[in-house]
Amino acid sequence: MVAELKELWRFRELLWTMVEREIRIRYKNSVGGFLWSLINPLVTVLVMTVVFKYLVGNQTENFAAYILAAYLPYMFFQFAVMDAAQSILVSLPLLRKIYFPREILPLAVILSNFIHFVLALLVFFAYLLAVYLLHPGVWPFQWSTLWLPLLLAVNLALATGVGLAVAALNTFFEDVKYIVGVLLYLLFFLSPIMYFSENVRYSSALRGPLGDWVYTLYHWNPVAALSTAYRKILLAPQPVYVEGTKVPPLPMDWGNFAFVSLICFGVLFGGYALFNRLKWRFVERP
Amino acid sequence: MSSEPAIVARDLVKDFVVSHSGANSLKTTILWFRKARVEKLRVLDGVSFDIGKGTCVAVIGKNGAGKSTLLALLARVYRPTSGFIRANGRIAPLLELGAGFHPDLTGLENVLFNGVILGLSRREISKRIDQIVEFSEIGHSIDAPVRTYSSGMLARLGFAVAGHMDAEILVVDEVLSVGDLDFERKCVRRIQEFRENGGTIFFVSHHLETVRRVADRCLWLKDGRIAADGTPDEVTALYEDRGGR
Repeated sequence: MVAELKELWRFRELLWTMVEREIRIRYKNSVGGFLWSLINPLVTVLVMTVVFKYLVGNQTENFAAYILAAYLPYMFFQFAVMDAAQSILVSLPLLRKIYFPREILPLAVILSNFIHFVLALLVFFAYLLAVYLLHPGVWPFQWSTLWLPLLLAVNLALATGVGLAVAALNTFFEDVKYIVGVLLYLLFFLSPIMYFSENVRYSSALRGPLGDWVYTLYHWNPVAALSTAYRKILLAPQPVYVEGTKVPPLPMDWGNFAFVSLICFGVLFGGYALFNRLKWRFVERP
Repeated sequence: MSSEPAIVARDLVKDFVVSHSGANSLKTTILWFRKARVEKLRVLDGVSFDIGKGTCVAVIGKNGAGKSTLLALLARVYRPTSGFIRANGRIAPLLELGAGFHPDLTGLENVLFNGVILGLSRREISKRIDQIVEFSEIGHSIDAPVRTYSSGMLARLGFAVAGHMDAEILVVDEVLSVGDLDFERKCVRRIQEFRENGGTIFFVSHHLETVRRVADRCLWLKDGRIAADGTPDEVTALYEDRGGR
């Protein structure tokens, strides 16, 4: 693997060029450009706010910000993995002609999605500021936001590991992308994105030692752990309504986060190892 | 001629797995797992040669003799099943009609991308970008998306990039017949210059006349083995004599 990484380093300019190309292609023929990638999360958040606040009757303040803080990272993960799944197949004619480290293809789409994600986070902060200026209340920015680079690194490691594995497997079995699509959909509901992790912790269905276990297992899922972590470090802690009663917010669980980070870097290592095992057979695909 | 050869191949063997079911979905693999007939096709069967620096070598042979596989192995697109092929120096593959060009990007953006993928740094490319654009004779269209180009323009741009790579070895897979006559002459001149500067050329052709005119040496590939190796006149005569068999 060290040799593979050295080779990748030698080709770093190609990687940057491809990332740049990805971003250019995406917005080449659209006037709205980058804004279009924000439409989807903004509409979702708008709809969710209306549904939860006025139809379901959730009284959590500034609920949209809490959804967005978990939804943007999830969207990054989803797009990075789904784009990576196709990355080898669409460039197969090129792979048959020229040598270059094959991992550059999935890495380029993952990194370009990561750049979008970081830009979307900037818009997220602008949104927080706008809400504060319109309804002055609690100052929305937290010191704990300084942990953001760490979370981004763990998130990127996870997306890259899964993306590389899926890219390699999908090249041989095109069913993989459909299976992954379904799994990502499940993951969306198995992670605290449209609800809070406190809803799981204090759920009446999960009382006693069994509930403790379920909650621990629940947060071993890296996407769930990351969703919770983004919320805890980006936004002010605030009481959550669980089945109609107000409960105090749980603090950020750094122990669990450290454990999940290890999992994420393990996934990165495993995904890259799998990719390397298969990468020279891509062009010989039947 | 330098002591170190430009290209070395030793006992080069390449097998391809031929799948009759064309298994590329999980379902077929699982359903047909027991019946999977894995058949191996030996495309190259022990090919060895040394090519000295500055030589122009032509490879001839029937379709399916393994010519393109040999080029792909040289370009490191495939891994050999056993044996090895090694090139000393930078290789510039001449791609068919600008493979690797993205239709939505402009000519200029594609030149940059193609140069980087062929192993140049961005700084090296920006230094030669004017030369490349001038050579390609594309003019102002260089800022238009490549999807608006004619196939002749694509070929010219592709050759212009590969021709300005400062490569030591040029690999050509039958592409030099796409531009108009003037441009073809220009390409031939460029290749001549390339050879005068000590560059090695490795090309595949069905056009025996071209082989006799430009090559110094000719390899006849037959069923994955070298059937003959010598001067173009000898080898092409033998090839024509036997009708490729």
